[in-house]
Amino acid sequence: MNKFILPVVLITLLFSVFSFIYSNSSNSSQLVYIDVNKLMAGYERTAIERAKFEKKAITLQANVDSLIANWQNELKTYEKERATMSKKEITLKQELLSNKQNQMNNYQQAIQKQLQDEDQKMTQTVINDINDFVKSYGKEKGYRVILGATGNGSIMYAENGADLTEEVLEQLNASLHAK
Amino acid sequence: MQSNFLTIIYSSFIFICVGCRPMSFQDETDLLTYLKNEENGYLQSKQINGVQYQLMYKPTDLLVSQELNGKKANQATIDSLRSKYDRYRYYNLSMSKNNKELLTNVARDRQQFGSMVNTLSFGMEQYIHLFTEKRDTIALLDYVYPRMYGMSKSTSMLLVYPKEELANSEQINFSIADLGFGTGEVSFNQSTELIIDQPSIHFQ
Repeated sequence: MNKFILPVVLITLLFSVFSFIYSNSSNSSQLVYIDVNKLMAGYERTAIERAKFEKKAITLQANVDSLIANWQNELKTYEKERATMSKKEITLKQELLSNKQNQMNNYQQAIQKQLQDEDQKMTQTVINDINDFVKSYGKEKGYRVILGATGNGSIMYAENGADLTEEVLEQLNASLHAK
Repeated sequence: MQSNFLTIIYSSFIFICVGCRPMSFQDETDLLTYLKNEENGYLQSKQINGVQYQLMYKPTDLLVSQELNGKKANQATIDSLRSKYDRYRYYNLSMSKNNKELLTNVARDRQQFGSMVNTLSFGMEQYIHLFTEKRDTIALLDYVYPRMYGMSKSTSMLLVYPKEELANSEQINFSIADLGFGTGEVSFNQSTELIIDQPSIHFQ
């Protein structure tokens, strides 16, 4: 009986190792894809970040609008008082209004650039989250390759079973709530 | 038969215990080689929008070795240095774009350059956040940003965190906000087990 123990233990060990390798490699031969646009649209953090961005955009736009309104009021005042002003005063006032208009235009451009940068930051933050999650998901599930379909026609055909989008989206949102 | 079976079990147990000991190295070079291998989990890299990020944990013995700077020291000195550095946890964060420091990439715009100098020198606690798995924030105690004046290939800084708060969580999450390079928020996750079982140097 003693001489059978070691072979039994070795066979059991080999069997466990083989089962482990087999279970991990069962996904490795599949070619799967994820619809990135769908993932971005369905990921809850996208909506959260977009709401933050829109709030910021409204505040910045309100600043620009109030500057424009002030300038327009000054212009109206100037037009009312123009008849009673001297030539020199008219020239000076026109110059002041023109300078203010230029400053306002520059400010408006700066705000637009700032909003573009904020939009890019927000989008990139969401993309970073998704990329990190997909990498860890792929590693955990043992997939060799997960392709990202961005809607540019790069995947012309795929079986239903290859679309991981819904499954990944569910777990991506679950990981956000777990944080 | 029972004694043979128990012998196998005990041998397997001892084998597993020996295999799970924290790594120990002969010198700083060997330790650094081990740390710089991303598969070991102490160094993480990401490249986003052309900006390369690297975050590396610095074990206590690495700092002790750097302070000794090749000089021989007795055990009492080594123990003293170990207890000094073991009170905190240290990370090295390195950021570069086009294989240059971040400041070099904004050098053409005076305003942007000045703002970036200010941010890197004094404001990084607003950009670097560390969270536990329960989303509690671990405050950055201090950081060191040595100016290299364009002579380095990256912008590096040493981050210092409290030891106890890190030990209370199984996973920690670093989040680095966008510094104006369009990277968005960049995250790194790390298991605290790697910090608890940190590698050491066998000082002779």
